[in-house]
Amino acid sequence: MLQSLMDLGPRLQRAFIEGDRWKLYLQGLGVTLQLTVVALIFGVLLGLVVAVIRTAHDQQRLGRRKNPLLGVMNILCQLYTTVIRGTPMLVQLFIWTFVILPAERNKVLVGFIGLGVNSGAYVAEIIRGGLMSVDIGQTEAGRSLGLNYFDTMRFIVIPQAFKNILPSLGNEFITLFKDTSLVQAIGGMELLYYAYTIGGRTFDYMPPLLGIALVYLVVVVVFTWLQGKLERRLRESDRR
Amino acid sequence: MIDVKNLSKSFGKHLVLDNISEHISQGEKLVIIGPSGSGKSTFLRCLNLLEEPTSGTITFDGTVITGPKTDINQVRRQMGMVFQHFNLFPNMTIRRNITLAPVQTGLMKQAEADGAATALLRRVGLEEKADAYPAQLSGGQKQRIAIVRALAMKPRLMLFDEPTSALDPEMVGEVLEVMKELANEGMTMVVVTHEMGFAREVGTRLFFMDGGKILEQGAPAEVFSAPRHQRTQDFLSKVL
Repeated sequence: MLQSLMDLGPRLQRAFIEGDRWKLYLQGLGVTLQLTVVALIFGVLLGLVVAVIRTAHDQQRLGRRKNPLLGVMNILCQLYTTVIRGTPMLVQLFIWTFVILPAERNKVLVGFIGLGVNSGAYVAEIIRGGLMSVDIGQTEAGRSLGLNYFDTMRFIVIPQAFKNILPSLGNEFITLFKDTSLVQAIGGMELLYYAYTIGGRTFDYMPPLLGIALVYLVVVVVFTWLQGKLERRLRESDRR
Repeated sequence: MIDVKNLSKSFGKHLVLDNISEHISQGEKLVIIGPSGSGKSTFLRCLNLLEEPTSGTITFDGTVITGPKTDINQVRRQMGMVFQHFNLFPNMTIRRNITLAPVQTGLMKQAEADGAATALLRRVGLEEKADAYPAQLSGGQKQRIAIVRALAMKPRLMLFDEPTSALDPEMVGEVLEVMKELANEGMTMVVVTHEMGFAREVGTRLFFMDGGKILEQGAPAEVFSAPRHQRTQDFLSKVL
């Protein structure tokens, strides 16, 4: 233990400096951030569609004949959220890689799809909660003016729901950011992949792994701080 | 203008409207009073289908609005509605609150709607609030905005659901004043209210509802001075 501490200088040197290895970490961080952002955008779009379909289905006027197309889409959406939320992320990534897209060489692309589809299910539930948190009087006011359901959602309900779901959405971003490390397991070259490889090459796993743990932590802390600022700004319009 | 035939509405097993048949003519100012839970709000909300009748038909200018093929959005564009809790859209400026529906439904172009909004705001003395947000206004101001927001659609009929019940007493007058002006201009109005002075002064006909039925109706002055029904007498003796 003492010995290993005294060796720390050379070990850090080997893990981060030698052969410009720090560039590899930066490259990995870039891919990790890309995975997070693309998957989140994909997840939010998918989640929004699913949430609107499910809310539209649940808010159909009682006593009227139900829209059969909406019924089928609602069942598909429910199936999607149930399956995705009920199975492990890593298992899903393996299924995408080895079962659905075995010919795809670009593992980061598979990662985009796997993470995005996964995130969509969680975001759908977040957005659905947000839509339901908006006072029903807002919908009634919109509809009473003759706006149709989708215009009412688009201009009135969704913008208000957005402010309510921002904290949960930020949380989803953080979860997703850390879950990108699972893409390493299917061979995607992101942050963990480089740390793991460098650890193997130098026969010393401790510095690279602790190093990237710190990187993950710093990114999350910075993001949390930014999110707090944004929320405070959005809340300003509520004040008198 | 509106024909109601055998209208019934129940929530679960609870019968709220019990087989009501009535006719409302153009230019009428119909005032509905009654104890809470009597079905008066539900009756009003059935007129623009915010509540779906359990049975019966409602006809508006020859269109059976309870029919399965009716485009309810088209019908609602001709019926303005004002709510107890204003239901202004907090995420928009006052101007956009007013112009959203006319522009989105294709009734007006944005520039035209902006002009109309300015004119409407001037009429209720709130011209300088065009760029404010609802949270910056008092209750009375919000309700006056809600009224002109409905008027921006150039409705042929206005429905008021207890428009002054959520207001501080000192703000009731300013809202009633706007409603009186509207009545004087010949607008057809259906008003659910607890303001007996307003009912007597503006109403051309009055319904007293209890237990989902219209127990008594007639000219407001007559009903107030000589209620025929025991239940009406009890109610009036408590509120007058």
